[in-house]
Amino acid sequence: MSVTIRIAGEAGQGVQTTGGLLVEALAGLGLSVASTQSYMSRVRGGLNWYDVRIDSRPLYAGTRKADLLVALTDVALEALGGQVERGGLILYNGRQGDDAVAIDFGAVAEQAGGSKLYANTVAAGAVFALLGYGADRLGSLLSARFEKKGTEVVSANRACAQKGAELAAAHAGKLQAPAPGGSVARPVYDGASAIGLGAATAGVRLVTAYPMTPGTATLTYLAGVADEYGIVVEQAEDEIAAVNMICGAAYAGVAALTTTSGGGFALMAEGLSLAGIMELPIVVLIAQRPGPATGLPTRTGQQDLLFAVRAGHGEFARAIFAPGTVAQCFDLTRRAFEAAHKHQTPVVILTDQFLQDLQQTCDVLPADAPPIDRHIVTGPAPDYVRYAVTESGISPRAIPGGPALVVCDSDEHTADGHITESLDAHLAQQDKRMRKQRGMLTECLPPQRYGVEDAETLLLTWGSTYGPAREAVDLLVEAGASVAMLHFAQVWPLDASAVRSAIGGPARLISVEGNQTGQFATLLRSIGALGDCELLTNYSGLPFTGGEIAERVSG
Amino acid sequence: MIDLTKADTSPAWCPGCGNFALLKTFDKALDAADIDRTKLVLVSGIGQAAKLPHYTKGNVFNGLHGRAVPAATGIKLANHELTVVITSGDGDMYGEGGNHLLHALRRNIGIKAFVHDNQVYGLTKGQASPTSDPGFVTKVQTRGVTSAPLNPLAMAIVEDCSFVARSFTGAPDHLEEMMVAALRHDGGFALLDILQPCPSFNRRNTFRWYRERVKPIGDPHDPYDREAALRLAFTWGEEIPIGIYYRSDRPSFESQLPVLSDGPMATR
Repeated sequence: MSVTIRIAGEAGQGVQTTGGLLVEALAGLGLSVASTQSYMSRVRGGLNWYDVRIDSRPLYAGTRKADLLVALTDVALEALGGQVERGGLILYNGRQGDDAVAIDFGAVAEQAGGSKLYANTVAAGAVFALLGYGADRLGSLLSARFEKKGTEVVSANRACAQKGAELAAAHAGKLQAPAPGGSVARPVYDGASAIGLGAATAGVRLVTAYPMTPGTATLTYLAGVADEYGIVVEQAEDEIAAVNMICGAAYAGVAALTTTSGGGFALMAEGLSLAGIMELPIVVLIAQRPGPATGLPTRTGQQDLLFAVRAGHGEFARAIFAPGTVAQCFDLTRRAFEAAHKHQTPVVILTDQFLQDLQQTCDVLPADAPPIDRHIVTGPAPDYVRYAVTESGISPRAIPGGPALVVCDSDEHTADGHITESLDAHLAQQDKRMRKQRGMLTECLPPQRYGVEDAETLLLTWGSTYGPAREAVDLLVEAGASVAMLHFAQVWPLDASAVRSAIGGPARLISVEGNQTGQFATLLRSIGALGDCELLTNYSGLPFTGGEIAERVSG
Repeated sequence: MIDLTKADTSPAWCPGCGNFALLKTFDKALDAADIDRTKLVLVSGIGQAAKLPHYTKGNVFNGLHGRAVPAATGIKLANHELTVVITSGDGDMYGEGGNHLLHALRRNIGIKAFVHDNQVYGLTKGQASPTSDPGFVTKVQTRGVTSAPLNPLAMAIVEDCSFVARSFTGAPDHLEEMMVAALRHDGGFALLDILQPCPSFNRRNTFRWYRERVKPIGDPHDPYDREAALRLAFTWGEEIPIGIYYRSDRPSFESQLPVLSDGPMATR
């Protein structure tokens, strides 16, 4: 059984610091970790919480209720006290009891470490004791973490962790925590960084964006590794500038990325269309949050699928990837760059707040994976033309600065890239561009199946619902149900006949989606790959959990 | 299919358009400045002026309306050894793309912006532009323009743009001199505002109107004197000074990026 530890308090109170420390410490025990974050669109106050879930088995999502609530404020206790599992514990500055551990974190920190700043460490020490884990591992992590700040800071932190553990000793081991998995620390990545690392290893050279939650986390990650990987990161004046900058950079020959969310992507729609007609390999990361308009800026949802598929005026080829795990965030980002360059057209990565912030233990992501092929022809002949009409629709791509001139136009153009109003030239170029969609279709990722073979109930899922749906399948199968899931990590283009045969004929078909209208089911219907199906939707702003899906499927 | 090949003549400009003189002078200036056309990227947005890159020799990125500046920024960052020149109109650069221009000036990125400024929209057939004089009557601004005109030169000087100049298509030698100076400018963004008549849609600021008013900046003017430069930028009406208004030694955007010190990213 997994255990969920929930750290809850105000923005600016160290909720993230404590959560991050616990994730690292618990992964250091060889445990599987999945952590999720819920926060408000504010810098101070409010109520934020950070869930750290551990198990000896792989974890894919969070839980609605916590086994241990660490409430740093009265508001946190009031709002989340009812969301504690039966037999769980609350750790707070209050009254001690069978199900409550009382510690005045600030006062203890001041006493044991000389400053209230160490309150988080006191809490972490207490959590470790309640889980029944020795304080040694936490202690050595604290030493490593604060080594640079001097021996005084290290010993103060260690003393605070020790004191926290002592004060929680009466309840030590009360939670049925999984046994440590050995001495090998499990690597932990969050979705936002995994996408960033995927882009960096793929060879991205220009990253430009206007900050927008929850896309910003990837922008920030890339800024942090920019010197290491040789990347220029520039904050654009707006999203229109961002997308046009990467169009210019792609034209001139470098791999380029912008990060945003639905609102920013709305401003990029014309630029996406530009990349379509100019045949520029750009990659756009849309980290979804619920709309319309500014909506719920820090929450999660899957409301922008149809928008991403249809965005941009006119008709042009594109691919859309929707990772379901942190490891897929890395792999599919690299694949997005590969597809964009091979087919010379825009590619979108569709993720969301849940997956951006999800921290997951997984295999080491190769930070030295080779860069992708940019498919640039070298030394083109002087009579080179940029938009030669070919069978595949892919024209040899040269970049400016070489021996041949490279002419590109947002107007319809002849094969040499110059503006034209010739309707014949238009048809030749439009057909050429759209032929690329056929090639992309043959490379389309097939949906992945998980669960019982020939299951009576089949869950259709895409993107970040992979994790919660997979946990739901496990729960339902354990309870004796005949359930499987189909997960789409690429949502465009889709091969209708392949989708139809992957779905087969289950007695019950349910599309599980983070939106109100069942956008993926609508998309499948639009290509003739789906008839009737049930919808299981969550557009609350909070992510699905496995328990929630399982309950609603069986209920 | 109806064959429009013969109808699709180029250039798409009206007889008497300032763009003809501008194009001719531009070609001369590129040669005078020894620009290798294979290392030249002409960037434009949309409008009659924005079609210029199609009528000369160079690499071309004829992008979206108003978005020449960010596209040029991406090109320059990808390969800072290229000469990146924007040739686009006042509507494209000062209207639709005004925000981008403002921030490119702040960045001081090494792009040359040659703005064809005829104070009117041509391709959409005669509406007011951001630089139209107050009172200018059009089929849309039926009671005349009431907004204050944008002052692109003052804006550039205020943002400490490293090269700010103005010229006139009716003074081709002067225009060539300004273009060459801008092309040779090595320290960041160069804004050259080029006054030109639009015989079809601007009957107010005609060739004659400009010719009677434009006057080379008299000696002595120190282009590093920001206040003097601003005084020139505010001179409009009976007299319009042409020449280099302002220069600044501020480092260019690209020179401050350590990542670019290993050579252009595009050829890595």
